[in-house]
Amino acid sequence: MNKRTILLLRFVLILATILVMAYSKRGLDIASPSYVVALLYFLTNLVLYFIPETKLSRPIITFSVFLSDIIAISLAIYFTQGMQTDFYLIYFLIIFIASVGQNIRGSILIAVVASALYGWLLVQSNPGISILDSAILIRVPFLFIVSLISSYWSVMMRKQLRSTKELEESAQKLQQEVARITAKETELRRYSETVIHSVASGVIAVRGDGTITTVNPEAARVLGTTQENLVDRKIETIKGLDTLWQKMKKAINTNKPFERLQISIINADDIIVPVGLSVSPMASPDTKFKGCVAILRDLSEVKQLEEKLKHAERLSYLGKMASWVAHEIRNPLTVIDGFSQLLTQTSNKEKMQTFSSEIHKATQRINHIIEDILTFSRTKTQVKSSSVNLWTLMKEITENISGIRIFIKGVENPNVKGEEESLKSLFLNIIHNSVDAMDKDPKLIIEFREQTKWIITELTDNGKGISKEDLKNLFTPFFTTKSRGTGLGLAIVKKIVDDHSGKLEVESEENKGTTCRVFLPKADAS
Amino acid sequence: MSTYEPMENLVKESEQLRKRILVCDDEESIRLLLNEALQDTYEVVEACDGREALRLATKEHFDLIIMDIKMPSVHGLEVIERLRARNNNTPIIVCSAYREMEDDIIIKTSNVAAFMVKPIDIKVLKTKVLELIGT
Repeated sequence: MNKRTILLLRFVLILATILVMAYSKRGLDIASPSYVVALLYFLTNLVLYFIPETKLSRPIITFSVFLSDIIAISLAIYFTQGMQTDFYLIYFLIIFIASVGQNIRGSILIAVVASALYGWLLVQSNPGISILDSAILIRVPFLFIVSLISSYWSVMMRKQLRSTKELEESAQKLQQEVARITAKETELRRYSETVIHSVASGVIAVRGDGTITTVNPEAARVLGTTQENLVDRKIETIKGLDTLWQKMKKAINTNKPFERLQISIINADDIIVPVGLSVSPMASPDTKFKGCVAILRDLSEVKQLEEKLKHAERLSYLGKMASWVAHEIRNPLTVIDGFSQLLTQTSNKEKMQTFSSEIHKATQRINHIIEDILTFSRTKTQVKSSSVNLWTLMKEITENISGIRIFIKGVENPNVKGEEESLKSLFLNIIHNSVDAMDKDPKLIIEFREQTKWIITELTDNGKGISKEDLKNLFTPFFTTKSRGTGLGLAIVKKIVDDHSGKLEVESEENKGTTCRVFLPKADAS
Repeated sequence: MSTYEPMENLVKESEQLRKRILVCDDEESIRLLLNEALQDTYEVVEACDGREALRLATKEHFDLIIMDIKMPSVHGLEVIERLRARNNNTPIIVCSAYREMEDDIIIKTSNVAAFMVKPIDIKVLKTKVLELIGT
C-alpha cells in the first residue's frame, strides 16, 4: 500500500470518526475531549505526510500507524460514548485497511488489539455485561474473523500481484537478453562474413553432402560467377568443379586436410583457371555438422609470368644457341671449304686422302652439333619405358673408348626403366667429359648400386676436377670450359635424367677427380 | 745419294730465306689447313693454344701471326696485348668465328692487320698474307 492511499484512507477514517462522534449519544459538544482526539488524529496524518515513503513501508511504522488509529477511534468512542451507536462498525473499516496495509502478523495483532479495546469499551459502557452477551460473543470474534479473512485475502492478492509483476519483469529481462544476444550474434556473423569476404584468396565452404554454404567474392570471381549463383547449390551440379569437389570429398571422408594442391577448374566463362588449392575438413564433435572448406588461389597470373619467363629464357637460349651454332659450324665449314679448294690443287695421293678425311671429319662434327641441338631442344618427351640393362649398355659404350682404364662393378642386372638411345647418349656425354678431364694414368670406375626404387650409376674419374665456380654452371646450356666444347653435353645429360624422372649428383675436388651419380628408376620386376 | 745433299742444303737455305708465319688455333684441322695452304710459299709454325703462341712469338722471329681468338689457357686477345706490351709488333691476322668480336678487337688492340671471320676463304687469306708480307 502506498503512502497516498494510506493518507487518503486515514483521512476517510478521520472524517468517519468525526461524523460518528457528531451522531453519538452525547452529540457534538465543543468542549468534548474527543475533538482533541480528532485533532491529534488529523495531526498524525500530517506528520505521516512528511515521512518518506520508504520509511513508511517498514512494518513497524505501518503497525504503529494502524495501532494509533485503533487507539484514536477507541478514545473517540470512549469520549462520545458511541457504543450505543453503530460506531463500532468503524472497527471493521480500520481492521480491513490494516489487513490490506500490512502483513498477516501485523493484521492479527491489530485485530487482537481492536477486539480487546472493543471488549473493554463494551464493558465500560455496559457495566455488568455478561461475557455470553451477544454483543461480546458475536462482535468480538466477528471482528477477529474479518481481520483474518481480509488479511489472508490481501496477502494472497499481494502475492499474486507480486508474482505477476515478477513474471512481467523477468519476461522483460528475457526479452532484453534475447535482443542483446541477437545483436551480438548478428555482429559476430557480420564480422566473420567481413573477414571471409576480405580474404584475398577464394573461400568456398560446403556441407558433407556438397551443398555450398559460403562463397566469398574472390572465389566467385575465380569461378566466373556471382556468390548468389553458388550458395545453396550442390557443388557437383556446377560444371567444371569436378576436381575441386573430388578433393573436398576426399578431405571430408578421410577427415584430413590437403594442402598446396594444384588443380585446374573450368569457370563459368569456360576458361581453364589454374588454381592453388588447400582443403580442410570441418567437423565438430559436439554438433552433427560435417563439411569442408577450400581455399583457392588464382594462379593464372603466376602461370602467365612463368610462361613469360620461360619464353624469355627460351629466347635467351635461342640467342645463345644461334651464336653458338654459328661459331661451332664456322670452324668445320672453314675446314671443308679450305680442304676442298686444296684438293683441286694437289695431285699428291697421300695429301688428297688427308684432305678428304679432314672434310669427312668436319661434316661429322657438323652432324654432331645438329644432333646435340636436336636432343637439347626437344621438349620433354614421354620416355618409352622399356627395361634397359645398364651393364650391357655400359659395355657397349666403353668398347669404343681407348686410352683409359675402365672398371665396371656393382650389382648384377642393373635394370632401369628408360629409353636405350637416350640413356646411351646420357652416359656417353658423362664419360666424354671424364675422358677430356683426365690426362695422367686415366682411370674411370663405373659402379652400379641399388637403393629403394633407384638404380644408381656412379662414375668416378681421376681427372682434374671441377672448380666450385664451374660446378654452379655445370648444367647451364652453352657453358663450357673446353675450347671446343659444345657447352651442351651436360645440359643434355641433365635433360635426359629429368626426362626419365631421375636425379643427378656431382661431387668434385680439383686435381683429384669427379664423381657423377645418376639415379634412374628401377625397372619393374617382371 | 750424295747428289741429294746440295739439294737439301738448298732447301734449308731457301727455308731460312722464306718468311715465317705462326699459325695459332686450338683446332687441329684448322692448323693443318692453314699449314697446307701456306707452306708452299712460307715457313709455317703451328701453336695449339695461346700460351704456346706467346712462347714461340717471344722466342723466335715471325713475319706474321694468324691467330684464333677463343682458345684455352691464354685467350687470343691477351696474346695480342702481351705481345704489344713487349714491343713485339709482328702483324697479326685474327681469324674468329665471332663476327661480333671484330669491333672489340680493333678497339682494344693496335696493329691488328686484319680481322677475318670464319669460314675463311683460303684464297682471300692468301691474298691478304701476300699483301701484308709479300713472299
